[in-house]
Amino acid sequence: MALRLRLRRELLRRTVLRRIAPFWLLLCAGAAAAQERPAVVVNPGGKQTYRAALQRFADHSPRPAGAEEFRDALGRALEFSQVFELVNPRAFLGPETTESLDKPIVCPDWSQIGADALVQGQLSRDPSLLTANFRVWDPSRCATLVQKSYRQPATADPNALAKRIADDVVEAFVGVRGVSATEIAFVSNRKGNGEIFVMAADGSGQRAATANRSINNFPSWSPDGDAIVYTSYRQANRPLLFISSRGRGRPGRLLPRLPAERAEYRGVFSPKGDRVALVLSDEGAAEIYSARPDGSDLQRLTRHRSIDVSPTWSPDGSRIAFVSDRTGAPQVYVMDSGGGEPRRLTFQGSYNTNPTWSPDGKWIAYESRIGGQFDLWLIDPEGQVNQPIVQHPRNDEGPSWAPNSRMLAFSSRRFGRAEICVVDLSGEKVLRLTQNAGDNTAPAWGPFPR
Amino acid sequence: MGSDLSIELDEERRRSFRRFLVVSALLHAGLIAAFAFSPSFGKLEAPAGVISVDLVALPGQPAPRPKARPAPAPAPAAQPKPVAPPPEPVAKPIPKPPIPEKRVLPQEAPTPKPRPKQKEIPPEAVPKREQPEKEYGDVLDQLRTEAGEEAPAPEAAPEPAPAAASAPAGGGGSGKPVSPEVADWMRRVRIHVRQSWVVPPGFRQQSLATEVDIELDEGGNVVGEPEVVRRSGNPWYDDGVARSIRRASPLPAPPESGVWRFVFVSDESS
Repeated sequence: MALRLRLRRELLRRTVLRRIAPFWLLLCAGAAAAQERPAVVVNPGGKQTYRAALQRFADHSPRPAGAEEFRDALGRALEFSQVFELVNPRAFLGPETTESLDKPIVCPDWSQIGADALVQGQLSRDPSLLTANFRVWDPSRCATLVQKSYRQPATADPNALAKRIADDVVEAFVGVRGVSATEIAFVSNRKGNGEIFVMAADGSGQRAATANRSINNFPSWSPDGDAIVYTSYRQANRPLLFISSRGRGRPGRLLPRLPAERAEYRGVFSPKGDRVALVLSDEGAAEIYSARPDGSDLQRLTRHRSIDVSPTWSPDGSRIAFVSDRTGAPQVYVMDSGGGEPRRLTFQGSYNTNPTWSPDGKWIAYESRIGGQFDLWLIDPEGQVNQPIVQHPRNDEGPSWAPNSRMLAFSSRRFGRAEICVVDLSGEKVLRLTQNAGDNTAPAWGPFPR
Repeated sequence: MGSDLSIELDEERRRSFRRFLVVSALLHAGLIAAFAFSPSFGKLEAPAGVISVDLVALPGQPAPRPKARPAPAPAPAAQPKPVAPPPEPVAKPIPKPPIPEKRVLPQEAPTPKPRPKQKEIPPEAVPKREQPEKEYGDVLDQLRTEAGEEAPAPEAAPEPAPAAASAPAGGGGSGKPVSPEVADWMRRVRIHVRQSWVVPPGFRQQSLATEVDIELDEGGNVVGEPEVVRRSGNPWYDDGVARSIRRASPLPAPPESGVWRFVFVSDESS
């Protein structure tokens, strides 16, 4: 039957091709007005990274300092994107320090040294603010791709500014914003018990976000990036959802209006932040619910005697994927965010869990156990395409999407203890972010900074 | 009586079975003949590959390969079928620390389950895995060159239309073999342009194609601005193509000056 359908489709395709191709080709013939020449078909070679020349930013402040460090930070962030490599400044034919952002550059100076991008800029400081103006050139076209300015409190880390600029440079060249300025929350037991930690997306600046000496797990960000929701046993020896905030809002229980009677797990904000999906469990049954962040308007979304866990929102907030063992083994299901009959999504593998919907909506990443090892897989929300992204004899678990949907963070035991790693969608380059400091698990990649 | 009847029935069954065999054999022979002499038989069943890929399929045609593949999920299909792990001690359903949610689900042998519907994959939707053919790309290039062949454009390849031979985009290929001189230049110019073309990983996982007309003088210098005659749908990919052409100039001197069409495909596997 399937074969017949396939044949029919094939026939249809051929018919369409046969009828349309001649017209199309005629059009091409007219447009090209070239003689009967064959087309030269070029497919990619080994070059995957653009070359960026970074000028040292001019620093007009009374006490200039740190322009070299700023350039280093910008360079590291560009390399982290895996879209750029750097041109050694010693090879520059043009000035190594930006002279002016208003003057045109001598483009051949930069294209001759193989620079696909030239980044120039200037830093200015006053007592309260650090401002970076920058301009990105495409020397081959001698055109400006981006010109922008960022400012931040003078006391803040200048590296953050450098990363914002790097992410813009990435966007100018591939159309997708870089993620070096984002952060990843995760769980680490490096100090004995599982606490929530936060680090930059490149693994730098690891710091604890909780220190309650209890058990804490399943961090998840608020959509504005100002808060992290997590599950903790810090109160009443029962798992409840807590929120840790960056200054705005009070830390404490996430759903204060919900009586602390049932176990709460794995709260995740809806993309708009107006609701929280979570797992509530009593007497063994675990079901998916959603509520307002204050705990009001609690709605039960699943109704089955099985265990339903691990909710994740579609980026438009209309659907929720989750895990259920209703057919005997854990599999991923999708339902409307208001509840309703779930549709089973995964059929391969005997143990599929931890689904997470990509911010662009195209994929659901999950972990699947096949042959005794957990690997990361991608499936599209309609279940038509299902394929592994990372495979390794040691377990890879807990995928979390970068906000640009181009990379995944996950926890891997390939180095012995569980470590947080990131990988791009080709699955080829696995970058390790944590280094043998206890077990590091449950990464949650935060949103773009505002 | 009873046994006679059963013997008779057996005899009858044998006869009808023999008839069935004869009819079946005839039918099969007929079917095989029909397929063998049907004009579309070879095209459809012979893996598009064996002959046409070696000699005429172009490097990097994005469309035909995924479409010709009957089933999606290329990698999963290659996986050994997951064997149900030996039943583990059933974990208590009530989640307990230290791992409250994960692994609390009882692990049982999977019940017989419906196979997922396998549908055609829109090629642009799938982040591509490394394809085995990739390694042979250069060898194929070499073979094509030696054979004095050049590849047709992506659109012409799956079903070479009669017009393909005379159209610039579909030139060469099966319809009109190019001269060894042109074929050699095409091989060299392809290698040359490739060296200056940066294709970041994100683009390699999509099926993108940009067609550009480039005017070349006798020395291979790019004259004026290359004209994009067909965009890929991704402006940053198109920009990258234009960048690579500017960076590549001068190209190897062409057999004839004038406008040449280039097709930049993101598919690295051919």
